Amino acid sequence: MMAEPLLAIEDLRTYFYSRSKRAFIRSVDGVSLAVAKGETLGIVGESGSGKSITAMSVMGLVSAGPGVISGRIGFRSDRVERQLLEGLDTCVALRREGGRVMAVEKDDDRWAGQVEKNMTGIRGREISMIFQNPKQSLNPFETVGRQITEAIMLHTSHKIEQEAKEKAIEWLDRVKIDSPRLRFDNHPFGLSGGMCQRAMIAMALSCEPHLLIADEPTTGLDATIQSKIVDLLAELKSELGITTMLISHDIGIIGRLSDTVAVMYGGTVVESGPAKDVLSCSPEGKHPYTAALLASIPSSDAVREKGHLQAIEGDVLDTINIPAGCRFYGRCSRVTDKIREKCDKQEPDLREIASGRRVRCWLYFE
Amino acid sequence: MSKTILEVVDLKKHFTHQRGIFSALQEKMRSIPAVDGVSFYLKENETVGLVGESGCGKTTIGRTILRLERPTSGKVIFDGRDITLLSTDELRGLRGRMQMIFQDLDAALNPKMRIRDILTEAIGVHHRLTDAETEKRIAELLDQVNLKKSKLTNFPHELSGGEKRRVGVARVLSVGAQFIVADEPTSALDVSIQAQVVNLLRDLQKRLGLTFLFISHDLRVVELMSHKVAVMYLGKIVEMGMSDKIARAPHHPYTHILWSSLTEKQSREVAKRAVSVQAGRWGVFDFERPAAGCRFAPRCPVYESKGRPAVCTEPATEPQLVELDGGHRVACHFPL
Amino acid sequence: MKSYSQQSGEIGEFSDLPFWKKANSVDLAYVTYGLLVVTLVIASYLLGAFKLLPHDPQDIDLELMMAPPLTPKHVLGTDFMGRDMLSRLVVGIQAYFLPGLLAIFIALFLGTILGVLAGYRGGKFDTVITYLTNLIDSFPRLVLILLVIAAFKPDIYVIMLVVGITNVPAVASLVKGKILFLKQKNFIEADIALGLPTGTIILKHILWHNCRSILIIQATLGMAEAILMETSLSYLGFGVQEPTPSWGNMVLAGSNYFMKGQFWPSTAPALAILFTILGFHLLGDGLNNILEGKRDK
Repeated sequence: MMAEPLLAIEDLRTYFYSRSKRAFIRSVDGVSLAVAKGETLGIVGESGSGKSITAMSVMGLVSAGPGVISGRIGFRSDRVERQLLEGLDTCVALRREGGRVMAVEKDDDRWAGQVEKNMTGIRGREISMIFQNPKQSLNPFETVGRQITEAIMLHTSHKIEQEAKEKAIEWLDRVKIDSPRLRFDNHPFGLSGGMCQRAMIAMALSCEPHLLIADEPTTGLDATIQSKIVDLLAELKSELGITTMLISHDIGIIGRLSDTVAVMYGGTVVESGPAKDVLSCSPEGKHPYTAALLASIPSSDAVREKGHLQAIEGDVLDTINIPAGCRFYGRCSRVTDKIREKCDKQEPDLREIASGRRVRCWLYFE
Repeated sequence: MSKTILEVVDLKKHFTHQRGIFSALQEKMRSIPAVDGVSFYLKENETVGLVGESGCGKTTIGRTILRLERPTSGKVIFDGRDITLLSTDELRGLRGRMQMIFQDLDAALNPKMRIRDILTEAIGVHHRLTDAETEKRIAELLDQVNLKKSKLTNFPHELSGGEKRRVGVARVLSVGAQFIVADEPTSALDVSIQAQVVNLLRDLQKRLGLTFLFISHDLRVVELMSHKVAVMYLGKIVEMGMSDKIARAPHHPYTHILWSSLTEKQSREVAKRAVSVQAGRWGVFDFERPAAGCRFAPRCPVYESKGRPAVCTEPATEPQLVELDGGHRVACHFPL
Repeated sequence: MKSYSQQSGEIGEFSDLPFWKKANSVDLAYVTYGLLVVTLVIASYLLGAFKLLPHDPQDIDLELMMAPPLTPKHVLGTDFMGRDMLSRLVVGIQAYFLPGLLAIFIALFLGTILGVLAGYRGGKFDTVITYLTNLIDSFPRLVLILLVIAAFKPDIYVIMLVVGITNVPAVASLVKGKILFLKQKNFIEADIALGLPTGTIILKHILWHNCRSILIIQATLGMAEAILMETSLSYLGFGVQEPTPSWGNMVLAGSNYFMKGQFWPSTAPALAILFTILGFHLLGDGLNNILEGKRDK
């Protein structure tokens, strides 16, 4: 059924300990995902749903003081096979007082060393990432071309500078940057936001990674530029067939680029499946959150009739005080009396309800 | 016919870059026209949407109308008075009637004050009320913006994005504003919360008879909120008209491209209608305002397809807003 | 693999806790020590002011010169003229207390005004004030003080006036920085748009709500600075003049006997200086971390 997964995330939990609140912020709380070779997995969710932290966990970027990770992330390409979270748990100790975690003691140096060990040959080489903020992700003191050239020399077999430079220009051309030879010598501040994002994409792809993680690649860009970047990503996808993990809050973009979609809410995946099913208009077989999210987007019809938007009442989940029951229970409009008790008390698991489609909702379980 | 509440006449705002004390002496200043001759008006109980890409000057217009910036030239007539000529004190009195919702969720919220204090203070600025009356007014405001009473004792950082936005709106309403400049009120919010805020603003408009200048880059939200829409490009309005006309039958190539960038069916229809428009080189350029002629020419697909006609780039013939039909106005030599 | 999930059911409303429960224990220790020092300083000042001392600090007892510490009636011993060390130490605070407050007041008052003008009004004000503060900063402080002393007289108030003025740039730049930060958050602009009077915005929203903690911290650091400055000058012989005791001139007077093994006349005031300045600095540091939340992520 499903092709061999390139990246398999199992029960990933990434928590950040907040000292002032003496509690864990459970940013990612039990996420299991698999990205098959050649497919694009779209992860959609609102802010605080944990989608970006999931990506950061994969890239080994959760190093900041109080962050702790558990679970398994397996990466397997024809070049490497590795567990990306190996040995991280030994670097953390919890100090408890009266049943409450009072502090997290983390051996930062060992943690960093372990991450480094796990990620060598993976980061940049096997998995590369593009970020939301292209201007800030590029080094402002280096020309764009040099940065790409460096990445190529570091990660691929092109070790001669001239050769790498040619390769870089080729990539700049490939991401449709006008007159790449001229742009090669530009500093990031000399480029517009859209151009910077193109340069970022060129840099990420120039090392020919197996997996591309695109974290909100269009957010913050103007609408016209956004659609151009999406066009470019679609084109590169069909051209190179690169496996992509696309993270966005914009359902339009996810819908255009993804093969499979995972919808995240409050640190968990509430629904996953083929893009066309998950993002279709009918609420049938959907998690109530997905359905409501789709309905709250101003559709052309709603706009034309100037009707009311169907908003989801309530607020995004507080990832510290996670309720015992379903995370969406407080905002859900489709709770029936029959399952109310369960929704309130017991968290549903992510179950397969049709081939390839998984939903985390009592509505669909007997 | 309802009366005109705000009229903007040939408004210009140029920012000057000044580098140190010596360059000021040398009179060597670079002037950047953020708003370059914009005119429009708002009728009572009406929403005008202002759309455009970042840097096109739409926020500057909003700020200049409320005189948070002083205009370089032009008039802003609010309720019969030119606010560009008012003194600071006269202006302060007028602020009770014209207000702004800021893009930044934290803008209206002093981080060290509780929500109750924030609202109490705002009410006290333009109205002298007793404590009991203030209390009643706060309850009324909370009801209007649909916020729980328990939030009054919270500090701003304890609120979620949607709640912060509601407090911001309550603060604007608390002074009794009739005309509100809403600068990207939804862009910092999540999709599901955006819909709540859009609904809230539209409800308030119906209930309180508010007038909005709605500034946003989110085309769908603008179309939904607004009766009329003005499209801006590099400091000028290039097209203006009823919102459904702008969205479905645009005449300016820029408007067309803006709406066709929406990845929805609706825009595909538009795309079919004007096949001649090929946005081939679009977005590939770093764009800067050309020295003369139509500002949009360097990015314009029509200019390209017509074989770069001279009329588009001549200094004397920068296109002006021309009325086409039924109040729809466009600034283009070759409207679609 | 270890899972953290079971840790999460135990959550209380920690945001409601008072700040001392949320604060880092190190910071609390700093502040406690600092407050202890402040209390001692104030108590000493009052004791000195009301002459509630075991001995008259000027009382010369030629029978008991250089008595070591723990001598009956003289807990810290006596100096080379047989004067009681403890009384002199306590009275020594007189030399700093009011002058130090003056220095703090000048620095905070002028610094705040200049900072508000530069940050809030900006433009030409900013340019002029920046040049002015740079000018003040570019003078070596000690040389400036010596010049002033040479021109007027070695009076502690004159010295503290200069110390205060030379501290103005630091306060001004802090206040200006805070205002620029607040401006970035747009809420000053929202206040203007709301129609709040400028006075309310500056005094209430900017200074009272958002600058008071940095001003308190500056005040504690300013006190430490004042003491240190007076001490250095007294040691050079320019500060408070004998027979009025100050810690600086006590160290100077005692230093002649240090090498002869009679360490206490110089060591006692030196330690007093050390622990007092340490106290003010730790207080400032601890307050900074607690009030401004520097340590907590």
